[in-house]
Amino acid sequence: MLHKIMIIEDDPVIRTELQTLLKANGFETCAVTDFDRTIREVKTEDPHLILLDVKLPGKSGFYLCSEIRSFSDVPIIFVTSSSTDMDELNSIMMGGDAFITKPYNTAILLAKIRSLLRRSYPEKQKGQLTWKGAILHPEEGSLEFEERKAELTKNEQKILYYLFTHAGTICSRADIIEYLWDSRLYVDDNALSVNINRIREKLSGIGLTDFIRTKHRQGYLI
Amino acid sequence: MNGKRWLRNRIPFLLINILCMTALGSFLLITGNSRDAVWLILIVWTLILCAGLAFSFLTRKRYFERLLRMAEELDERYLIPEVMEEPFLAEDLAYYRILRMAERSMLENVGDIKRERAEYREYIEQWIHEIKTPITGIRLLCDNNRSDLTRGIMAEVEKIERYTEQSLYYARSENTQKDYAVREISLLDVIHGALADNKYLLMQENVCLELPEKSACVYSDEKWLRFILDQLIVNAVKYARKTPEEGTQGSQVDSPQGATGTEPVIRFLTEDRGEYVTLSIQDNGMGIDAADLPRVFEKGFTGQNGRKVQRSTGLGLYLCKKLCGKLGIRIEIESGTVGDRMENGEIQQTGMIQQVGTTVKLTFYLNHLIHEVQEK
Repeated sequence: MLHKIMIIEDDPVIRTELQTLLKANGFETCAVTDFDRTIREVKTEDPHLILLDVKLPGKSGFYLCSEIRSFSDVPIIFVTSSSTDMDELNSIMMGGDAFITKPYNTAILLAKIRSLLRRSYPEKQKGQLTWKGAILHPEEGSLEFEERKAELTKNEQKILYYLFTHAGTICSRADIIEYLWDSRLYVDDNALSVNINRIREKLSGIGLTDFIRTKHRQGYLI
Repeated sequence: MNGKRWLRNRIPFLLINILCMTALGSFLLITGNSRDAVWLILIVWTLILCAGLAFSFLTRKRYFERLLRMAEELDERYLIPEVMEEPFLAEDLAYYRILRMAERSMLENVGDIKRERAEYREYIEQWIHEIKTPITGIRLLCDNNRSDLTRGIMAEVEKIERYTEQSLYYARSENTQKDYAVREISLLDVIHGALADNKYLLMQENVCLELPEKSACVYSDEKWLRFILDQLIVNAVKYARKTPEEGTQGSQVDSPQGATGTEPVIRFLTEDRGEYVTLSIQDNGMGIDAADLPRVFEKGFTGQNGRKVQRSTGLGLYLCKKLCGKLGIRIEIESGTVGDRMENGEIQQTGMIQQVGTTVKLTFYLNHLIHEVQEK
């Protein structure tokens, strides 16, 4: 099931780009454009999570939050450009679940959204990933192919996870490195080559050859 | 009060006295008084005159010394007319009135400037909050259209963010009120946050990062600390040693291990000593000239390397020092050529005589806050 995220944000660029970003990361989105009817829209759309800007035309985000809290327990993430402690305190007092300051790192924003959704809607864990007969188990950090398993290090597991979630498309080295950095693994270009080579060795050890293909000057493809 | 000068001011008065004395003496002699009697009168006159002068000098001196002391005890010296009593002497009263006038115009000026500064500060903070909206927009646009171009743009956006943050903290550091909140934070989390802030810069420069395995907890303000770390990370990258022969292009092929020796390294080390926790940020850059070292925390100081490498604002470390002072963190900086300070010996293995670049050490005292509470 797709989680629906509602964006309450007055800056049109941020609004549409946030929608693009969230859709690309597997969320359903809706956005409020008429801020006089925000509450009604929240009621009709009934989202799973709300991204709420603090500074809005008319009513402030804090006020909206307390209004929403009167009828719903939907998780709310406050997004603001002000980074004072007063605002953070206010957001908690008004019933917000998380607080994030602009300009945010999108990786951090997505991580916050995911962890909040996981906490609020505990349901089936999308555990393993499958592609061309190979099964990746992110929790136990291993890759399975025809009943044979290879143990992976954290770096290798993250690289494979990225490739699996982008299966069938070419992943550029820079994209993979950026993903690793966002996962707090500070791997440089050389180390990525080393890791890819090691993954290939492990894969051929369990009978998977040519699973990761190198696209010259473009990146990797599975 | 200068006695000599005071006496010199009394010359007309003394001349009149001498004139009167000669006139009286001559008159008395002419009218047939004895020489002894005249001398006696003149001597008594002189004595009384001297005693009078000494008395008036001492009272004046005491009066002004008291005023001076009062002024020195005041925080705002210009407020002295408020605390002194209205003088009795006519001349003093005139001066007192003038002082009051000066004070009033001073107060008006000070008030105006204070208000203007507060308004300007408010405007700057407002501006910074507003500029963050378009920055967020650019970030999202780039994230949704990833390519080498957007990565280049993001590196520049990071710079913009850094400068805006710097001006925000500069505005805040001037403020005397406490606008930070101290809570228990994990050092490793703050380091990760600061690295994320400078992700594109670090990736662009191919920086090798070494982080501590274990995190230590400190009591501090997360945002401020992150800002301090941002400044230190940027400095480490800015003053990395760049050798033209071994640039970023050639090094990938011939060194699969990822350590070319010329690659910039930033190493974070934490040490938990119970009483205090230290965080050291080491780099293998060009270091700081020993002559410049004592002055790096001064505002606007750029030093030899600052002029050599890039435009340097001389604000980064100054702000670090100032914010650290407010948070009760000790900040020390050292730079040297001692090789054995490297702990895992990794760099020596490359066969090069390596300099240890710069090490900035932050010391967090765990019971600093307790002391502060006790003092109050």
